[in-house]
Amino acid sequence: MGNGQSLRELVHVIADPEHLDASVEEVLRLMLGIQSQRIANEHRGCCRAEQETVTAVVGFGGLLSGACVFRSGSQAAIKLASHMTGMHLAALDDTVKDGIGELCNMLAGAWKGKFPGLSASCGLSVPAVITGCDYNLHVQAPEFRLEHTYSIDETQFTVSIVCDNLQ
Amino acid sequence: MTEVQVLIVDDSSVMRKIIERALRQSGLDAIVVHEASSGLDGLEVLRQHSVHVILSDINMPSMDGLEFLRQIQSQRLAPGVPVVMITTESSEEHVRQAIQCGARGYIRKPFTAEQVKERVLPLLNID
Repeated sequence: MGNGQSLRELVHVIADPEHLDASVEEVLRLMLGIQSQRIANEHRGCCRAEQETVTAVVGFGGLLSGACVFRSGSQAAIKLASHMTGMHLAALDDTVKDGIGELCNMLAGAWKGKFPGLSASCGLSVPAVITGCDYNLHVQAPEFRLEHTYSIDETQFTVSIVCDNLQ
Repeated sequence: MTEVQVLIVDDSSVMRKIIERALRQSGLDAIVVHEASSGLDGLEVLRQHSVHVILSDINMPSMDGLEFLRQIQSQRLAPGVPVVMITTESSEEHVRQAIQCGARGYIRKPFTAEQVKERVLPLLNID
């Protein structure tokens, strides 16, 4: 980093939860024209009522490795993609999956862009989008993990930053 | 007024539509949009069409935006046509690389229609 400190020494700054909230707020306001509200852990009900969920993953590689993970039920994904495209989308189709992948890409980019030293030395993968039900994403012994849930129009989505290595 | 021919290169079809919408909101109503989902497809479009401006993502499969820029230069496919990168990569190093490869502008995702207007319109040289 600029002042000679390693990323590991700055982990408390990088893992500051406020950066994730600021990134979500920025992306949703600028690209979707909406505001989301972060909800407390005890009120999280993300995806529980829905059979089908959507998960988008964008990997980080370089001085920090890990992933930005977006997860929601199909209704939240459809609402977010509808706001993004300005179209009325009714089903979890390719447009929704593409939109959610791009949303996750922008969240990952906005989050790493909060740290100048990280922005240049950490690349992003092309988004992968998984749909279905009854699956889990496992990361073994992460360096740190941030996971926040937000609500829009009575639906919820969760954004996680999982860091499995810092140099 | 001359129709503005635009090439939008992005692997996300949703993002291509968002960029097109931002261009129209910028006051460019009379545009013809050519779309490509990778740098490789973008080169093919440029072999078949003349365009006034190119807007390209960086992170794409098949051929990324920086290699696309290098190929445009080396194959002399769109001489004098301004290229603006629209990407989530926002570090000074990425901007420097893009400018070095021939980009004339840089827009960071997420963006507003106003930013697209400010960075793209001044580059257009049309009647």
